[in-house]
Amino acid sequence: MNSHDEMLDSVAAYALGTLPPDEASKVAQHLQTCDACREEYRFLQPAVTAVAYSAEARDDTSAGATALSPLLKARIMKKVRAEVPTPQSLPRTWGAYALAAACLALAVVTGLTDLSLNDRLTRAREQSAAQVQTLADLAAPDAQRYTFADGSVVAAGDRLYLTMRNLPAPPAGHVYQAWTLPKGSKTMAPSSTFTPENGGVAVLRLPAQATAVEAVAVSVEPEGGSKQPTTKPIAVVRI
Amino acid sequence: MEDDGRLMERVQDRDADAFETVYDRYHRLVYGVALRVLADPAAAEDVTQAVFLKLWNEPSLFRGGNFGAWIARVARNRALDAARSRAVHAGADLPESLPADDALEETALARIDGQRVREALAQLPADQREPIELGFFGGATHEQIARQTGLPLGTVKTRMRTGLRRLRNALEGAVIA
Repeated sequence: MNSHDEMLDSVAAYALGTLPPDEASKVAQHLQTCDACREEYRFLQPAVTAVAYSAEARDDTSAGATALSPLLKARIMKKVRAEVPTPQSLPRTWGAYALAAACLALAVVTGLTDLSLNDRLTRAREQSAAQVQTLADLAAPDAQRYTFADGSVVAAGDRLYLTMRNLPAPPAGHVYQAWTLPKGSKTMAPSSTFTPENGGVAVLRLPAQATAVEAVAVSVEPEGGSKQPTTKPIAVVRI
Repeated sequence: MEDDGRLMERVQDRDADAFETVYDRYHRLVYGVALRVLADPAAAEDVTQAVFLKLWNEPSLFRGGNFGAWIARVARNRALDAARSRAVHAGADLPESLPADDALEETALARIDGQRVREALAQLPADQREPIELGFFGGATHEQIARQTGLPLGTVKTRMRTGLRRLRNALEGAVIA
């Protein structure tokens, strides 16, 4: 093999990205002056691209491919859209006004119904008591905490809580759903569905008894929830 | 379908909708390459996010030509960076910027069918396919491959080149329109 054939082989290794930096820069310089090597490099480039495409993920997960978490796009687009005013920002603003107007209307209507005043007071007291209980449980020194990226599962006595932060809004038509794995079971049981508050925070008490649960998971599901997870969980915590 | 070059011009103008279209078109390629390099879905998602946010923040890094070919190389290099930061090994990078005429050459093969390519790769003799895959996805230099396989350096390079040429010829049938 003559030295130019060897150079052509080096061009292939260069195209594939397997040359150490010093050798790569030699080949790059040679390519500037040698038509035959340049032609070879051009010819091989699409083959290198093709090697990359051979790894392209497929949507069809039954074929053994790994699906991307649907949250990845939501996370990326949240950052992208946070930077620039987009055409969607106008309807969103109007949506907020509409919601505020609806709340005001509801307040006026319920305000007119004196009969329900006691009921509402009772309900408000119950909610407030539940929130105080939640705060006390989350802050309790003897509560058991199991943390994962951007969240935690807290067991306080029999009560079980899920807290999450930095959670992007779920894709349109979807919600987050919590799952609990009963002790001794191999199947996740459906638990509460939820969407994060502004700022990506969610704190909820799960209906299951903490002492009867082996693991808690969270996945993205269609609105209304699912009977079993239909997407890869974004968090799984063994407790 | 709006071509990638036009979409990237809109991304330069901070058009989030154009960026979303680019993401929809190429996230499987970026994630797939990163997953193949890292063998770790969470780490591959991190690389995917980093590649696309970098693209959004510095769209001028793409200097024309075949966008898929370019972003695949960026994904491969970033995934190898991530692998190296876990102290795997030092290796070689792919040139990400191609001379303009080389890039144009590749535009003719703009849309590559992943399935057909997988079949074409599978048909290469193992002694050609393995050094190609080790080099591209494993980030191994030809010297490291030679040590691993016990083959002379020159033989490793020759097999890489023979395999790439075969794959290149098989590609003619793997291009969509």
